[in-house]
Amino acid sequence: MPPRIPTKSSASSASALVRSSFVSPCTSQCLPSCRAGFSTTPSRERSTNLRRAFLQWTRTIGANYRQPKPEGGPNYLQSFGVGPNKPFPLNPQFRSERVLDEQARELIWEKVMRRGETLKAVSAELGVDLTRVAAVVRLKEVEKDWISKGKKLATPYSKAVLGMLPTKSFRPGVQNQPLEPINELHIHTATQKQLFWPTAESRQFTREDAAKAFHAKMLSADKRVPHPELIQMEKDLLKGMSPDEARARFINAAEQSERKAAEKQQKKAMAEEQATKKVNTPRFEFRFKEVDSELIGKDGRAPNVVGWKYGMPHYDRKKGLVKIPTSVP
Amino acid sequence: MPRAAQRRLHVLRRPKLRQSWSKYNLYNLWRQRDPKIGFTDHETFFQQKWRAKGLLRAYHGEHIKERDWERMFSRRLLSVANMNPQYMAQNDGSEMAAGRGSGRDIVSKWKDDKVEPKPITPYMNMAFAPMERRLDIAIFRAMFASSARQARHFVVHGKVKVNGKVMHYPAYKLNPGDMFQVDPDSVLFATGQPKKKGGSSARQAITNPQDNAEAEPAAEEAEGAEAEAAEATEASEVPEQDPETTDKPEAPKADMKPTRQAIQKLTKQAKSILARDRDVSTSQKQNLRSFLKRAKPLLSKAGRSTATPTDILDELNSMVKELNLSDAPAEAAAEAPSTPEQAVAARHEPPRSIEDLNADELKALQRLIKEEEENPADPTKPYHTPWKPRDYMSPFAFIPRYLEVNQNVCSAVYLRHPVARVNSAEVPTPFGYQINQLAFNWYLRRR
Repeated sequence: MPPRIPTKSSASSASALVRSSFVSPCTSQCLPSCRAGFSTTPSRERSTNLRRAFLQWTRTIGANYRQPKPEGGPNYLQSFGVGPNKPFPLNPQFRSERVLDEQARELIWEKVMRRGETLKAVSAELGVDLTRVAAVVRLKEVEKDWISKGKKLATPYSKAVLGMLPTKSFRPGVQNQPLEPINELHIHTATQKQLFWPTAESRQFTREDAAKAFHAKMLSADKRVPHPELIQMEKDLLKGMSPDEARARFINAAEQSERKAAEKQQKKAMAEEQATKKVNTPRFEFRFKEVDSELIGKDGRAPNVVGWKYGMPHYDRKKGLVKIPTSVP
Repeated sequence: MPRAAQRRLHVLRRPKLRQSWSKYNLYNLWRQRDPKIGFTDHETFFQQKWRAKGLLRAYHGEHIKERDWERMFSRRLLSVANMNPQYMAQNDGSEMAAGRGSGRDIVSKWKDDKVEPKPITPYMNMAFAPMERRLDIAIFRAMFASSARQARHFVVHGKVKVNGKVMHYPAYKLNPGDMFQVDPDSVLFATGQPKKKGGSSARQAITNPQDNAEAEPAAEEAEGAEAEAAEATEASEVPEQDPETTDKPEAPKADMKPTRQAIQKLTKQAKSILARDRDVSTSQKQNLRSFLKRAKPLLSKAGRSTATPTDILDELNSMVKELNLSDAPAEAAAEAPSTPEQAVAARHEPPRSIEDLNADELKALQRLIKEEEENPADPTKPYHTPWKPRDYMSPFAFIPRYLEVNQNVCSAVYLRHPVARVNSAEVPTPFGYQINQLAFNWYLRRR
């Protein structure tokens, strides 16, 4: 136990104790320490070398990280040999990527919702991933809805966070640097295996053939990428088509493919609607569907079989099994 | 799980990195050196994997039971390849038949000083990718909570919606396209500065709210009385200024219109606020608040009982202009003095009735008022108001690419599962390739 040097406060507390024998013990002069026990010395705060080093750090190097940079922008840990925008000094393979700022989000929303441009065209023009364009529009719609309802936005939070992140903005009407690669191909598991596939040397073994070699039903990379229309546009340009014409053809193709997808979705929804009979009651909406109980698969164990089958337990109410939903429609 | 609940999250001795924005965590991250696992022969392969897995599991979902994580783990690692449309248009893939089946080799020359290593796709950094699908961890990654544990707390307490429905399972695994929303107040609480315990305003609000409520109307009343007195003097002047009224002067509409003097006072105060605009201090903000408080009853006199702070400035602006208009003839005379008497009169005229705010000043005031409206001081909130980001937040600020976040509505969309690319992996993990590889091997269960 370290020696306890009587400090000025302990001396005063001792005198307070003397006084407290006359006055009630809970006066304002009484220190909190003398309220509980019999000790007249205040307990010293526990401090270790580690803690002292930490406090020293907060006063010196750590002080740089306490507040965001006044000029804005990222403020990651600086360490030797690690490039910019790397939040983890020991993991150079993780980078903090730029995010779209308010103006860029507004521009994307404007293009899609006001000017009626297709998602694919906006994605190709600005260099923003197709799914991100859709998400930006979706979130912006929520924001507009909040504004119209008079709900308060978290504006100070938004400003502070966007001030700490590397951001990307677009200038309308000009060729912009892309935010991210937009034509990324998912590496299919079937393509990850090594194949021994003898072919004639004279044969043009194209991507189409490679896809067939991996799997009979696999599409070629040209069809699986998010922007097959962009490849066609580049082919047109190689053929000598004028850039304006190629662009117009690309926009047309993008429109058509989106319309096709929308029609397909609508058709599916319509079929679903027609197959369901809805009965509205004050409390619930009952939905009835025709189900063929004979469709039970080859062995009677098909996964989506309706009803109870002999020897096929239903686990959905069993104790100890996971009942967390796997999707929220 | 009492053991886990009692364990301290941040320690200085034998530190562990955590999914948290704590200053202790930042310090530990700062002083963390490469653990150098597998560099020497001292450890067996099992020991290396054990240690690597321990280092990484302390960061990735330490609140998740090991058994749960083992069920979640997947050996299938996702990645993408960037397909350049121009290249694809130029080549049909047959060029890959050259060399050894993956295109012609680019042979480095012996005389080159430095041979750049081929870039790798860090698949192994994706070892903990399935964790990133969890709702609580996604909330932490979207910067809506200051730690994964806090994010979990929000989910459990019903502050989080997925696709518009309350989701109270932190272990819900997000599907591509899912939108999650967190209650903005919770987000502001999590990411803002904590409320000061002994703060004067906070204490006042908690201890005697009725006193506070009483004090404000009293001040307003005093100001109102002042304004009325000023109006009375103004009203008495009105008939004198207008000798052309025939019969009797009309009943003055003083109670309908704000007076010149009141507006003068306000503009004066606005000027004094703007005088110290260089650094927005606390006292200046307090001054601004009192300005708004003064302006409100004035406007309510003008027939606008429900005036928002942005209206105030527009209104004030128009009032100032109105006053200008009434002085317009005099001004014109001052500009073009035809006779020396008039010029003298103009010079002897009392200084301009309004300390007029010029356009820049008005703009600056508008900005200040807008800021005040966006970020008001509100003692009822559980965090420090006006809201400020919490300390030591900026070194942890990043949003991975698989999320698209809109901070204004505290919502985010999970775009897709995290992927690896050439030279980068999207899973935010504090350690490098080797350690992740060892941990991945541990969970392959071939030990």
